[in-house]
Amino acid sequence: MNKRIKEIEELSREMGLDAFPVVYEIIERSTMFNICAYGLPTRARHWSYGRSYDHLKTHGQMGLSKIYEVILNNNPCYAFMLDTNTEVQNLFIAAHCQGHSYVYKQNYLFKKTNRNMIKHAAEHAGRIDEYIEQYGFEKVEHLMDIGFSLSRHIDWHKGLYRKPYGSEKIIQNKNKIIREFDDILPKRKQEVKKVSKKHPPYPEKDLLWFFINYAPLEDWEKDVLDIIREEQFYFYPQMLTKIVHEGLASYWHAEVMYNYKGLTQSEYVDFLRTHEKVVQPGGNPFSINPYYLGYKIFKDIEKRWDDGNGAGRKKVLEVAAEEDDISFIRNYLTADLVEELKLFTYGYSNTKGKKGERFIEIKERMRDYVVETLVAPLYNGGVPKISIVEIGPEGKLIMKHDSSNVGTLDHRFASKTLEYIWDLWAAPIEIHTNNDDGEDIVLCFDEAGYYEKMLNEELYEEEEEEKPYQGRIILP
Amino acid sequence: MTDSFKDIWSLRKPGALDSERHKQRIRDAIKKNLHDLIAEENIISSKGGKKVKVPIKYLDMWKFKFGKNDKQKGVGQGDGDPGDIIAKEDQGQGKGQGQAGQDPGEDIYEEEVELEEVIEMMLEDLDLPWLDKKEKAIEIETEDVVFQDIAERGLPSNIDKKQTVLRNMRKNALKGKMRIGNFEPSDLRYRVWEQVIEKHSNAAVFLLMDRSASMTNEKKYIVKSFFWWMVKFLERKFDNVELIFIAHDTEAKETEEENFFAISQSGGTMVSSAFILAKKIIENRFPENIWNNYVFSFSDGDNWPEDNERCVQAVKNILPLCQAVGYGEVNVSNDFFGWSRLTEVFSENSDLVNNERFIVATIEKREDIYKTLKEFLPKEENK
Repeated sequence: MNKRIKEIEELSREMGLDAFPVVYEIIERSTMFNICAYGLPTRARHWSYGRSYDHLKTHGQMGLSKIYEVILNNNPCYAFMLDTNTEVQNLFIAAHCQGHSYVYKQNYLFKKTNRNMIKHAAEHAGRIDEYIEQYGFEKVEHLMDIGFSLSRHIDWHKGLYRKPYGSEKIIQNKNKIIREFDDILPKRKQEVKKVSKKHPPYPEKDLLWFFINYAPLEDWEKDVLDIIREEQFYFYPQMLTKIVHEGLASYWHAEVMYNYKGLTQSEYVDFLRTHEKVVQPGGNPFSINPYYLGYKIFKDIEKRWDDGNGAGRKKVLEVAAEEDDISFIRNYLTADLVEELKLFTYGYSNTKGKKGERFIEIKERMRDYVVETLVAPLYNGGVPKISIVEIGPEGKLIMKHDSSNVGTLDHRFASKTLEYIWDLWAAPIEIHTNNDDGEDIVLCFDEAGYYEKMLNEELYEEEEEEKPYQGRIILP
Repeated sequence: MTDSFKDIWSLRKPGALDSERHKQRIRDAIKKNLHDLIAEENIISSKGGKKVKVPIKYLDMWKFKFGKNDKQKGVGQGDGDPGDIIAKEDQGQGKGQGQAGQDPGEDIYEEEVELEEVIEMMLEDLDLPWLDKKEKAIEIETEDVVFQDIAERGLPSNIDKKQTVLRNMRKNALKGKMRIGNFEPSDLRYRVWEQVIEKHSNAAVFLLMDRSASMTNEKKYIVKSFFWWMVKFLERKFDNVELIFIAHDTEAKETEEENFFAISQSGGTMVSSAFILAKKIIENRFPENIWNNYVFSFSDGDNWPEDNERCVQAVKNILPLCQAVGYGEVNVSNDFFGWSRLTEVFSENSDLVNNERFIVATIEKREDIYKTLKEFLPKEENK
């Protein structure tokens, strides 16, 4: 088998694929669940990984969602295979992983990622363990909760390593407010330094970076947030290239296996069966299998650029290196393909049932609608666009939410997130946004806790009354 | 293929550890919401020893995220024309519109919890502080026979088959044979019993309920879940718990458990009648030197005025026979007019107010059940 995997790799190279070398590891199922839940073999511990781990254990073994392999972005790439896989499955996975490895190596987004993350993350884990020992488990866990809550708001273009804003000092509330004893302690002076320039000089999208540099935090606290931010930068490109990644890997395993002569006839049938399973539309009319969609688009590109001389495949590899999911769908999901794949958009119907139940109907089949609906949840990595725009008097942090056209903020979640920020910033926070009616509102958090108001300063009365108990626990 | 790595990857498996932490957080969250859970019908209608399903949300990771929006759309695949209805809201993937499966944190799932575990958590904060103050003998002793040892001689009926076969195998193995057989008297092993004396503590719990017409279903439900938890708690404290159900309107009657909540009769209310009947039953069947007696009465307070004095007297009479007497008033919708409430009558009597074994509580809604339980069964420190 070792020999045949070498042959697959050799064939891949001959077919024009310039990828990272891949190290294959055979592991047992429980190890696989661990690596999948954490995203890396060794990573700083956090309960949220435990949740994913439980989820995988319950759902990971069922039918289609059975995990065949995991491959990590690293140089060399590490690919993990289950020890229960058949030999053909492993050959198949090897071919598939060549495709992933290519995207890791060549795609423009991944060029900025840390290629030694497996080691780095293990080192991070060690540091977090030390902090837990030194400062207590709950304290570190709470800080990590905060870090994960804000980590998706990064500024990819400014990058992982940045210099602080100009040399001038920022208004900063040096005295961290400890809410619990504030009422009995004498009021401490707030140290406010004047600034000549506006801060931040431009709306700041990288929230964690801002707090690491400008919030009154201790060094170890900054380090914990830095670890989370660094790992986020490592995973960010994967979130933006789900379809490209799986599409190319599926395209490539098919190409290689069709051309590979080392399979017996029954093995070839096994391969075809597995391949069909991976690139089928999926039984759910409401969601699209990214393997299937990506594979179909790449096959279509190959066909359109084919000149009988390999130009089609060359174009496929070019596209996989240059596009992310949004541009990939925008540029290459054609009207013909939308029709062939029978794609449609759906949404709530205006008509309601007798008992007021609501229906979901097909909305459009036009290519442009389908494309825009597909990419809408991918904008900004799928998170609301939020930036820090100003630091007001007494260190008040003013933030702005800019994607109200995509959707309005969930207020319950926002209130808790603002409380997290309060724990870091230790001064009042405001976030300017719109409500469902398009009015300008402000979500605030200060000593009094969370409240909402209209932008013109009047207190915004919550319309929602407290709902009576309905037999469902709403967790804090 | 580097098989030697296999062991290295499986060395560190933090998943189980963090999964335990996640479950711990869920348990903490359940605990924080006990007042919600306590009225959960799933729990109190379940039979003992089972798992109960508690609807619970995945622990949220707070973050800025988009709220639900009617205008949201998703992309699907299949046949049909625009305008065709393809699903009803609940059966379709309505909730995961557009980004199905992206965020497992949004799901509501039913957490299977061991009933025992929930009860354990619920009852952690409850106690019987006055239990230690009793001077009477409340434990009775019974003799029991327990097989505890193995011997080479004994009665044929007490042969321990497993030990005998093991012995035989060992003997054969020593001779180099891998088999069972060739039993000899020296192979036989017998179980030996010992007489042990067990101490039992007994509790008799008297559940008194007003079943006059003014007790609505909601009120009865509150009483029912309250009793359920009360009994669960006492079962934990005592080896043997007897339940006595007394339903009353103007007259009190001992009933079976299954009829207790079902019957609804019209008529007035005389709470004293139930206390008097309970006293009679205690005197006849549950002498206080052997039994820990607990009397809990529930009514909506809509008592006949001329009965109020009698009621105070009845409580005073029954108190010396009991570890504790409780009176709970269920007042769901403030539907009370006119007559004075029984709670007020009790609270005006200084003898009763000063007796810490007599507890009065008011329940207005399901969520109050836990609070009331805590009042009835306070832990020493929160008294």
